[in-house]
Amino acid sequence: MLESYTITLEVKRYDPDTKLTWMQAYQVEASGILRFVDVLREINDEQDPTLAWPSSCEHAQCGSCGIIVNGKPLLACELLVKDAVEQFRTHKFRLRPLTIAPVLRDLVVDLEKAYDRVHKAKPYLIKPTSPHPDGDEYRIAPKTLEMYSEATRCINCFCCATACISSHHHFLGPNATMANMVRLMDPRETAKKERMDILYRENNVYRCHTARACSFVCPKEIDVSHFLALGKEGRF
Amino acid sequence: MGEALTIDSTLRCDVLVIGAGGVGLRAATQIGEHRPGTRIIALTKAFSPQKSHTTTAQGGMAAVDPKDPVDRPIFHMFDTWKGSDCSADQNVVKKVCDMGWEEMVWLERHGMHFSRTEEGRIAKRPFGGHMLNFGETKAFRACYEADRTGKGIMDTVWAECLKYGVNFIGQCIATEILFKDGHCIGTIIFRFPEGKFLAILAKATIIATGGKTKMYLVSSNCRGNTGDGLALALNAGLPVMDLEAVQFHPTGMVGPGILASEALRGEGAILRNKDEEPFMERYAPTAKDLAPRDLISRAIIQEIREGRGLFHEGHNAHHVWLDLRHLPKEVHEKKIQEVCSFFKRFVGVDPEKDLCPVTPTAHYQMGGIPTNEFGEVQGDTQGIVPGLFACGEVAAASLHGLNRLGTNSLLELITMGRVTGERVIEYLKDAKEPEALSPGAPHMVFDQFSTYLHAQGKEKYAQIRDTLRNLMMEKVGIFRTEKPLQEAIEELRELKERATHIPLAATSLRANQDLWQLWELNNLITVSMVIAQGALARKESRGAHFREDYPKRSDEFNYHTLVYMPQFNEVSFGKRPIDMSIFEAKGEHFELFDYIEREY
Repeated sequence: MLESYTITLEVKRYDPDTKLTWMQAYQVEASGILRFVDVLREINDEQDPTLAWPSSCEHAQCGSCGIIVNGKPLLACELLVKDAVEQFRTHKFRLRPLTIAPVLRDLVVDLEKAYDRVHKAKPYLIKPTSPHPDGDEYRIAPKTLEMYSEATRCINCFCCATACISSHHHFLGPNATMANMVRLMDPRETAKKERMDILYRENNVYRCHTARACSFVCPKEIDVSHFLALGKEGRF
Repeated sequence: MGEALTIDSTLRCDVLVIGAGGVGLRAATQIGEHRPGTRIIALTKAFSPQKSHTTTAQGGMAAVDPKDPVDRPIFHMFDTWKGSDCSADQNVVKKVCDMGWEEMVWLERHGMHFSRTEEGRIAKRPFGGHMLNFGETKAFRACYEADRTGKGIMDTVWAECLKYGVNFIGQCIATEILFKDGHCIGTIIFRFPEGKFLAILAKATIIATGGKTKMYLVSSNCRGNTGDGLALALNAGLPVMDLEAVQFHPTGMVGPGILASEALRGEGAILRNKDEEPFMERYAPTAKDLAPRDLISRAIIQEIREGRGLFHEGHNAHHVWLDLRHLPKEVHEKKIQEVCSFFKRFVGVDPEKDLCPVTPTAHYQMGGIPTNEFGEVQGDTQGIVPGLFACGEVAAASLHGLNRLGTNSLLELITMGRVTGERVIEYLKDAKEPEALSPGAPHMVFDQFSTYLHAQGKEKYAQIRDTLRNLMMEKVGIFRTEKPLQEAIEELRELKERATHIPLAATSLRANQDLWQLWELNNLITVSMVIAQGALARKESRGAHFREDYPKRSDEFNYHTLVYMPQFNEVSFGKRPIDMSIFEAKGEHFELFDYIEREY
């Protein structure tokens, strides 16, 4: 038999035309295997087409649907109703937009602006090493790649930056810092000095207070703080 | 909503890329790298190019290293030709297969994190329909980054674009292509956050908006894959080609249809029916679970129809099993880590211990805006549209014909992206700066949006969307026949009409999700009509297009379907010949590039 739940979503809403903010509650009868994006869609379909919420791929690979549920930043596409009830021990959920960028409407924030942080970390190879003598690909041993391949899985959903106690002040944030770390550890990058300058800049790795919230909230389960620690230690 | 809709401001650039996914940005990087100082604007519906649908591609990219001791580019060309059921264009097949390895090295040298062999080289895995010695045995040809190859490509080309100062404009839709004296001069865009229209004038415009399977109930595509680029071209009076060829990926996860990569079968996963029989052995004795996608999708539906499928109560869907239990732990943890986590999170099964429920999911469009082998858009069979280019999934050059092999799409992105970029550089040599638009000139998009904003009636967006998705799945899906196709066309006419009676709950232009989705829904209905019309007209079965009333391929249809639809349902057809240049060159093994039998 299919398990169904009566849940209430209290959504923080914002109207850019009137600049008003308010809380609005929606009660939904939802099957346990639905994801929060499905529930939000159902609210649009059945109750309120004006409620705006972000998403794109809806399977945790693009990082567009970050929201805060009962205080925890997460991806709405990954949260199944039955898991939410179990995890938060309630049938009532408070949904807020991420706090990392200005709100456009309701749960949609301007992640385009948040991305400026990642751009500052220069996620490309600034100066790649010279080509392999055979003219083909550079050789990287699997063991070397393994040191940083977890960090390359980051999808810049900004859940970590939202949870981070420092990233609301001057810190570029865990994901942006990790993007720089990837290239510091990448044997193909030769501009290590420039990368170190980015890493040890006023807005970078030492603004991290090692609370490790990033690692605990990361939807991809990347141990973000491990890579930040390597940066602080200068081991890469 | 009383105020008149107007263009708020105008931006200028040399190159405008509509759609900042893998192919659009590969074209942009080519231009940035080889023509420094070019002013490039790249548009995306998403917040950032990194959120494009390319990023969800999992398995790999086929490419043959010319120094490979066993594999050869000609095997790859043959597989692509055979895989397409003899409907790909051989000039494009040859070009792309010959360039493949060079592009792998390009990606690697620009920072992509490919998985590696023990010797530190780019690792390769087998994939469906890719074989050695013209179909003898599976080939290790797909270069990959674990099971996030698309993300690897996307991260690489996006980051490179940052280096070259490409100007990204996110959260916008391109709503109308602009022409002057037959030249494309840019587009009008609509920005989500401010709700404003902008004109972008460009010397060259590249349409790279990707795919569109959101008109199907079960789809692996992201929320925004709604056929916008195709609708844009159709509304401009341009043709689209082979849209009847819709690829259903055999292994979508039961429920939302999330993709479970072919890489799983490349690594050894096996499809099983309710008796746990590995049924593909009956349908494709040589290739088995690595047969092309069209064959496997039909085999799965066949199993279900004959009572050997299963039923998932929670998701109310029929399915078969994908068995990954026998794969080594190392493979689960490193090579297919993302997909395994999707099964755990979204379906609640552990692929190491449990059988995984899968069902075919609408995945890819083989057809698109017709282009030549350089990415130049063809207005008709005679000539190209100056200043307008298209590449990637939205375009049909055509590398795939009526069926695409797994891993050839990512390959197409980086090869055709580069080729198109090169062509644009050539074009820019003599291209002139477009003149300013005359103020107050009428624009189709304002009529469209006025209709949405002033609509009266009792229709509901969600009902029409769901009706469309069910209708397309049932009548224009994997198996097709004449009568249901005719019914579908009638029903699509009704839906189009009904969609004009959906009143918006709010008529603000600013960050109005409801308005945005209504525009998308109209695009979906438009493109669905062309799919259905093409499917009705092609009275044969070829590749992914299967007609139960005409189950065989027929030489009568050895051509590409062109459809024009400048007004909804004002449909006219054309034909484009299939390029047979490998066959006609009479080189080594040319006879295999004739209209051959297709068995696996």
